[in-house]
Amino acid sequence: MEISRKTMEVATAVVTGGVGALICYGSTENGIGWGPGGPEPGYFPFGIGCLIVLGSLATLVQTFWKHAGAHPAGAGAVPEEPFIDGTRLRLLVAFVLPIVAMTAISAWLGLYIGMGLYIFYTMRVSAGFRTLTSLAAALLVIAVNFVVFEKLFMVPLLKGPILEYFGIY
Amino acid sequence: MQITSLRKSVLTASALAVGLTGATAALAEWKPNRPVELVVSAGPGGGSDIFTRVVQAALTKNKLVETPLIVVNKPGGSGSEAFNYAEDNVGSPYKVYFGTQDAYVLPLGTKVNYAMKDLTPVASMVFDVFILWSNPKASGINTAQEFVAKAKENPGKVRVAGAKAKDADETVVTLVERAAGIDLAYIPYKSGSEAAIQVAGGHIEANTNNPSESLEQWKAGNQKPLCVFTSARLTDKTVVADGMSWADIPTCVEAGIDVKDFVQPRTVWMAADVPPEAVAYYTDLMKKAMDTPEFKDYTTRNVQITKFMAGDELKAFLAEQTKNYEKIYADNNWLLPASQ
Amino acid sequence: MGNFGQLMDGFVVALTVHHVMIMVIGVLLGLVVGVLPGLGAPNGVSLLLPLTFTMDPIAAIILLTSMYWGALFGGSTTSILFNIPGEPSSVATTFDGHPMAKRGEAVRALTLAFGSAGFGAMVGVVVITLLSGWVANFALQFGSPEYFAVYFMAFASFIGMAGGSPFKTLVCIMLGLAVGTVGMDTISGEGRLTFGITQLTNGISFLIVVIGLFGIGELLLTIDEGYKFDGVKAKLSLRVILRTLAELPRYWVTLLRSALIGCWMGITPGGPTAASFMSYALGRRFSRRGKYFGKGEPEGIVAPETADHSAGSCALLPMLALGVPGSATAAVMMGGLMIWGLSPGPMLFTTRPDFVWGLIASMYLGNVIAVVLVLATVPIFAWILRAPFTVVGPLIAIVCLIGAYTVSNHMFDIWVALAFGLVGYVFKKLDYPLAPFVLAVVLGDKAEDAFRQSMLSSGGSLSVFFEGSLVATMMGIGILLLSLPLLQIIFAALFRRGDSTDAGQTSRP
Repeated sequence: MEISRKTMEVATAVVTGGVGALICYGSTENGIGWGPGGPEPGYFPFGIGCLIVLGSLATLVQTFWKHAGAHPAGAGAVPEEPFIDGTRLRLLVAFVLPIVAMTAISAWLGLYIGMGLYIFYTMRVSAGFRTLTSLAAALLVIAVNFVVFEKLFMVPLLKGPILEYFGIY
Repeated sequence: MQITSLRKSVLTASALAVGLTGATAALAEWKPNRPVELVVSAGPGGGSDIFTRVVQAALTKNKLVETPLIVVNKPGGSGSEAFNYAEDNVGSPYKVYFGTQDAYVLPLGTKVNYAMKDLTPVASMVFDVFILWSNPKASGINTAQEFVAKAKENPGKVRVAGAKAKDADETVVTLVERAAGIDLAYIPYKSGSEAAIQVAGGHIEANTNNPSESLEQWKAGNQKPLCVFTSARLTDKTVVADGMSWADIPTCVEAGIDVKDFVQPRTVWMAADVPPEAVAYYTDLMKKAMDTPEFKDYTTRNVQITKFMAGDELKAFLAEQTKNYEKIYADNNWLLPASQ
Repeated sequence: MGNFGQLMDGFVVALTVHHVMIMVIGVLLGLVVGVLPGLGAPNGVSLLLPLTFTMDPIAAIILLTSMYWGALFGGSTTSILFNIPGEPSSVATTFDGHPMAKRGEAVRALTLAFGSAGFGAMVGVVVITLLSGWVANFALQFGSPEYFAVYFMAFASFIGMAGGSPFKTLVCIMLGLAVGTVGMDTISGEGRLTFGITQLTNGISFLIVVIGLFGIGELLLTIDEGYKFDGVKAKLSLRVILRTLAELPRYWVTLLRSALIGCWMGITPGGPTAASFMSYALGRRFSRRGKYFGKGEPEGIVAPETADHSAGSCALLPMLALGVPGSATAAVMMGGLMIWGLSPGPMLFTTRPDFVWGLIASMYLGNVIAVVLVLATVPIFAWILRAPFTVVGPLIAIVCLIGAYTVSNHMFDIWVALAFGLVGYVFKKLDYPLAPFVLAVVLGDKAEDAFRQSMLSSGGSLSVFFEGSLVATMMGIGILLLSLPLLQIIFAALFRRGDSTDAGQTSRP
């Protein structure tokens, strides 16, 4: 699967435009006028939202215009580099998904277990180390973080029910 | 398949964890066996933060606790973040919450995700007093009477600075407006010291503030206390500046502004459903903290009124305070539509 | 000359074995804290605070300020090596520092950063020494309109400079402002743009945005570029460090300009973060090699680092003299002062000169110690860079996520950081400028507060921004900076009229 730059430009502009509209809508809850004591709380957010919508529309128009203009002359021109090609996209997804999974697991079981599982996975699967090495690395990362945050700097990280059960806090 | 089994194990684990806390609660002589979090409803450097750190210092320095105490700042949403955290940690005896009147006032005017039933009151330790200050050089206001007169001449033009919107400072300003029949322009800043500097620099006519936040500017001659919002005068007779001591500042009632007692309690809370032994332990601990030289230094320096309240006395005080605030909030039209 | 005598007395106070030891410990702790994003200087300082309760105030403040220096230096390290700014004020260092490190010149980049940071800090301390009495009174002249004017100047210097599509720049600035708006509004006490989500009432922390946009975004980009991470080439040798230090004086114009900007922003309420951004922007505009900025240009590292540290030093003065902290770290330190029984304020200089001048003297020494120690850590970091990306990548990811969590102990923040990581990746690839976005997040809500406070106190009249010489001058400079790119285009068009080969290039849309 390959995503062209144009598709991505359009998609991004549509998303930012949507965010802009959302901001406009959200700011109406606070009053968007200019009262006797200066601007009301929603005055600036509303303007910000409008400008985002405008900027996004302009980017959209610009993208279409550029590509419409490039088309006829396209025969001799170098084809535009895609936003991302299939191989890269797969690599990217393979990197991002474990992180998302780790975050989800951490929300449940605490950050220490989340990071341990994540390191084990990346060492074993992505980097191709042996199971034992990967396990050792995961435990080392957990231990180092535990000492640095809980003991040295006394910043408690999320423990989750399992650590809590074993009386680690 | 895998997920469901995982979830099941989590459930058993958490059930066991709950059972464990229950077991500790059964012990008569309760004592924390792990680090205790002191959660502050303000950012670093704020009044509540300093208060909490003084308690932390007093307890650790005098070896009144064996486990480490960790101060955690949760200033988000005007401090509601801290009490929201209490709601997330029901029954945890290892978290103590430090605040002001914000704990019971916040739910009145803002949409917050906790209710008073999520908190167990532990103690109220000291009262911070409020003083009305002016900049004598820039504004020409030297007394509370002059302040009122000036405000009457220029309705809505005399500016009063304070910390945050719809918080203690703005509340007391609305009380002054109503009592003296004047109209002021309240300007909120991020903190009390920022507001004080605006007055000291002559950009704003007056501000309301805790004594310590304007003390240095008073000594430097950039600010002058007009009146204090207490029913009786302050007791500290050491001369601060201009031959005046804290005790020489008239009460606002004396000065003709009929606002009797507007003080800020420094309160200590725990989450709901905590073991009563733990509450008793921390109540006792706070009482001990108050007797330390560090804490006494702190209250003298900040010209606070020390009054320890706990148990039923505290509950009665809180109920009365909440009722007062409800009335003020209703008068100011600040109440949340839902709670009206 | 009275100040000089007092400074010498200060050196007598600070130059004891006990105090120098404390400085070394403080700097080392600060380095560790600064390297871990999210932990940051405010956290580190508040952590050490209980330790200081048993110390005398001078030793205590020396410990805390040394830690502060260490954290500032540590923050630059991660900015350069991993594109993760450990401190908000080191964001601008990533713009050229990271590209240079990626090119395999990590050691040079680090040395440039530390060298110019040391220089900036020194200038800052000298300014404090010479102007201490004057600065306190000067800072009192800043009312809300002046605050706004300072922020306006920082913005104006930045907006004109961004290349690329003006629409994308517009979208980025506005999105940044919107992010800064989320949460509790200071002036009205209402929640804004929260859409009923509780976590959003706490606002979106700047650190979360930065960890996402820069840290996680850069990770994704590295993978996209096929794991190109030329850390292996990071040859460490003393010679590189020495050669780079010898290279520094060549940038004396940038060094001086940046130090001046830094001092100005440190004394006025702009603060180190705004100072580093502004200095970077002006450096890019006025340097002869400005068009290479962003690609690993030495001056692109020197400019923000110098300004950051001179502002950081100067900002301590308003804190001591007025009791208004310029940063979160300063706020914690001020809390410390009060616990030790000192009240910051104009009288502190007369009541406790030993404390104030001991502190200032310790700033000279602390900075020298910090530069030496931090240069000694360069080999360690160069060594980390040699590990393969498949190992380092996940570790950086963990550091980012834990950093996001520790900002305020919310899992929600990790999700926000991940989302910003994706935004950072897409924006960077599509040439949306990230720098104005970040600046808008930092200054947006402060500028808005100042604007609305001015409006409240003037009764809604915009003329407050042009009454009074100070505010009018600053607004004038701001407007000039804003219109400079426009003027440049006009001048360029005028000068190039005769030169037919280039004329077409500027006029084409």
